Amino acid sequence: MKNTEINYKNIYYPPGGILMWILIFLELVTFGIALIALVVNSKEDPQLFHQSRLALNTTFGALNTVFLLTSGFFMATTVHQLKQSNNQKASLYLNLTMLGGLLFLLLKSLEYYLKINEGYTLGYNSFFTFYWLLTGFHVIHVLVGLVILLFMQNGIKKSSAKLEDVEASAAFWHMCDLIWLLLFPVLYLIL
Amino acid sequence: MKKKDIYTLGILIILTIATALFSNNSSTFKYITFIILGLSTTKFLLVVFNFMELKKANSFWKIIVVSYLIIFSTILLIVNT
Repeated sequence: MKNTEINYKNIYYPPGGILMWILIFLELVTFGIALIALVVNSKEDPQLFHQSRLALNTTFGALNTVFLLTSGFFMATTVHQLKQSNNQKASLYLNLTMLGGLLFLLLKSLEYYLKINEGYTLGYNSFFTFYWLLTGFHVIHVLVGLVILLFMQNGIKKSSAKLEDVEASAAFWHMCDLIWLLLFPVLYLIL
Repeated sequence: MKKKDIYTLGILIILTIATALFSNNSSTFKYITFIILGLSTTKFLLVVFNFMELKKANSFWKIIVVSYLIIFSTILLIVNT
């Protein structure tokens, strides 16, 4: 592990790197605008949106939140272990991080399967158009995050990964948590 | 494994369960949207400051994250009421 001292108090070096934080803000603003558009649309036909929202499984949504949050916890622990130069432990925690992501995807796939079987597809109504697009784009982010983490795992095992790169990957993974923390209450709970 | 991170995870899970329970009893609470968004905002901040270690960063980044959350939650509350 190539480990260098980073002064996080410097405005140009937030944990994860400035480019990653610019990306995180762009993503949060984009998903934020889409969620606001969803709520604005719901005002045109509140009953339809409320009934459609009730068709979603809150337990699945809450469980997926727990999977992502636990995965985020293991990611934070991975970075902590790498800073202590415990590569073996870091590798183990990174596996647990990826397991959390896989469990999220597994449950999401089950939810998608059930929704398709019930006929709630992309074109069913406005609510489900938003549901499929928002959760679909989020799933793509989780998949990309998992691929990045796989590369990091390889780097940690070969001791060739830089701490800055692992921190940037961790920031991307946490971004998936953050997006979900915005999606879950708006899509599953408040409409 | 940091003890503080374990406590943070525990709080996050409790808040997630609380949010789901509140939403299931939405008819009993007048300010349910406000409560759910408040709990979700707390979770967001816990992840950003503890797991992403933004607490160590320059104040600029902390201000920009908090500003984003305030703007997003306010717009959502205004539109939804």
